[in-house]
Amino acid sequence: MTAFLAMLLDAYRELNSRKLFWITLGMSGMVVIAFGSIGFNEQGMSMFYGLWPIESEYVNSTTPWSRALYIGIFSDFIVGIWLTWIAIILALISTCTIFPDFLAGGAIDLVLSKPIHRAAIFAMKFVTSLMFVVLQVTVFCAGIFLCVGLRIGEWNWMIFAAVPVVTVFYSYIFAVCVLASVLTRSAITALLLTLVFWSSLFGMQTTETLLQSTRIKLEIEAANAEQRIDQLESRLAAIEPDPSDSGNAVARASFQRRLENARADRESSIDGAAKLAPWHVPFRVITAILPKTQATVALLSRWLKDPDGFSIADMMRGDMTGEALIRDPVDVEANRRLEEKLEGDSAWYVIGTSLAFEAMVLGLACVIFMRRDF
Amino acid sequence: MAKKRTLCGAMPTDNGEFVIDLHHVEKTYKGKIHALRDVRMQVHRGEIFGLLGPNGAGKSTLVKIMMTVVRPDRAEGTLLGHAIGYKPALRRVGYLPEHHRFPPYLTGRQTLEFYAALAGVRKRARRERAASLLDTVDMTAWADKKMSSYSKGMMQRVGLAQALMGEPDLILLDEPTDGVDPVGRRDIRDLLIRLREKGTTVFLNSHLLSELEMVCDRVAILVQGRIAQQGRIEDLTADSQRYEIVIDGAPPAWVDKEPQLRVHKGDDGQCTLICKGAEAAAIQPFIDRLRAEKRTIHAVRPVRETLEDLFMRAVTDPVTGRALAPGAAGEPGSGPPETKS
Repeated sequence: MTAFLAMLLDAYRELNSRKLFWITLGMSGMVVIAFGSIGFNEQGMSMFYGLWPIESEYVNSTTPWSRALYIGIFSDFIVGIWLTWIAIILALISTCTIFPDFLAGGAIDLVLSKPIHRAAIFAMKFVTSLMFVVLQVTVFCAGIFLCVGLRIGEWNWMIFAAVPVVTVFYSYIFAVCVLASVLTRSAITALLLTLVFWSSLFGMQTTETLLQSTRIKLEIEAANAEQRIDQLESRLAAIEPDPSDSGNAVARASFQRRLENARADRESSIDGAAKLAPWHVPFRVITAILPKTQATVALLSRWLKDPDGFSIADMMRGDMTGEALIRDPVDVEANRRLEEKLEGDSAWYVIGTSLAFEAMVLGLACVIFMRRDF
Repeated sequence: MAKKRTLCGAMPTDNGEFVIDLHHVEKTYKGKIHALRDVRMQVHRGEIFGLLGPNGAGKSTLVKIMMTVVRPDRAEGTLLGHAIGYKPALRRVGYLPEHHRFPPYLTGRQTLEFYAALAGVRKRARRERAASLLDTVDMTAWADKKMSSYSKGMMQRVGLAQALMGEPDLILLDEPTDGVDPVGRRDIRDLLIRLREKGTTVFLNSHLLSELEMVCDRVAILVQGRIAQQGRIEDLTADSQRYEIVIDGAPPAWVDKEPQLRVHKGDDGQCTLICKGAEAAAIQPFIDRLRAEKRTIHAVRPVRETLEDLFMRAVTDPVTGRALAPGAAGEPGSGPPETKS
């Protein structure tokens, strides 16, 4: 415990000495200040601490949309963009040197010569290296917590769920950085490999989601076509052939044509879905094994969701005015099913499988570290 | 050396109590570079032991094996009574690596406390020892300044203090005076002698033979991964002990009849009679005869091989007379001369 606390204190001192740590903290502070500048009153909302009032009958302190907007800005935009992209990239740039410096000749000798098992040294160094993100996100969440409390009167402790969520998210990525550091002992190589891994991960997850939504859409279209076929067949069956009635023949021909089109649509949709399957399955398997970065961050939106169902996504669709944008019902249904499917994955599954991958990567790095001569 | 031992009064007896007792230590890098070959070495409790060797001989590898920084292919024996590689034993060992790199963002005091905490030293003891050791190595004035502002010599002083933070029974110092000015070197030597007086065993790895000669009780010379010589300096150089008598003119005719005498003729009309052996009584008859012949005796001096001579002898190929190739990767059969211990 003494050794762990010493490494924790050392990690803090190391961060303290890095300018990028303070720059990132300053930038986080600016994001909090900008977030806090949004206010609500009975007439509407205002930006820049009242300098830019915006009157709105929908988004004001008397409607639930103000909460949906404010929390949504935090969970969907601030966490989704700032904390999981920009701040993480800055964190990686700042921390990618930690392991290479730690493993450098003359530095590692001093640590390995202490009465601590190599695996324990490795584990302690990894855990204490996460301090950059823990400190940044904790300070940031404290600011957001105060803003939300003061602006909409909701003292929502779930905001602090961002601390473990973003830290876990960062740990998936940082584990790869550590493996690359142990293999190459070069900070720049480790950073590049990590960014390549992360972007590949993002690409694969996005592709898998796209393939998934397209398959769902095709399945819905096939089901719709099937329904249409049933209707057309029953209506066609209801029209008895009557050679003496020319109108009868025209009607039957029309139904026949529509039936053929519906069958063609069904075949096309089934065929399309079948053609996508060989592409989708490998992506699904790979993304099931790899860390679920997007799903991990999405957990926060799930946990901060309005109990009455008001969300920023609904606002953006125009639901609050009752004049929702006209959208393809197939798209709506496909999105609904996709969301349902994604939310069907429990937090334990999302985080557990991701941590399993992380453990595998760290295990490999640890074995290399333990077997290496320095 | 005899005077030094009398002063310190802490020389170990040869009772088999070894702080370091190594047998069959072998290490090969990447399957082809034989860094260490069947190394056997013993260090007694409370002595200052010097490990010498040319660059790449395997000295640092041997130290790193003891400190678990490098994994040996084979290593039998003990360190402080425990098997090599037994981590808890390192709690009683202080270590200063050769090219150490301390975190530049820490102050000298924080550095000492950090590494002591890793070694499991309690908080209060860490604070007290850090203050005391910084004073010992004359770094109190710089204690709260960042390591990044230190000179190499200052870092070496802090490094030495770091090695002593756990109040170790054994300290292993790899080039401890590297980058230290002459005054600092003397301070370090004095400190090592004080440590020996307190019963701490000091294992020194250094190129500075003259410094080792001043403080070491015993040495080992490592050449191409093998121990070429090991023992007390005076024992190792005993064969080379002799007396030299410098006289005017040609050597006396009777010299050829004295088997223990050799003659070296100088260019200045003088010659030197060299008498093998360490006993002063043995040369008295020769002095008497020279005086009887009215020869002018310019000097009578005892001569003994220095550590540098011993070292050079160990690293020289006895067949070719040339220095053995640097590095530890010599082919079998091209190793150092026979081991003497």
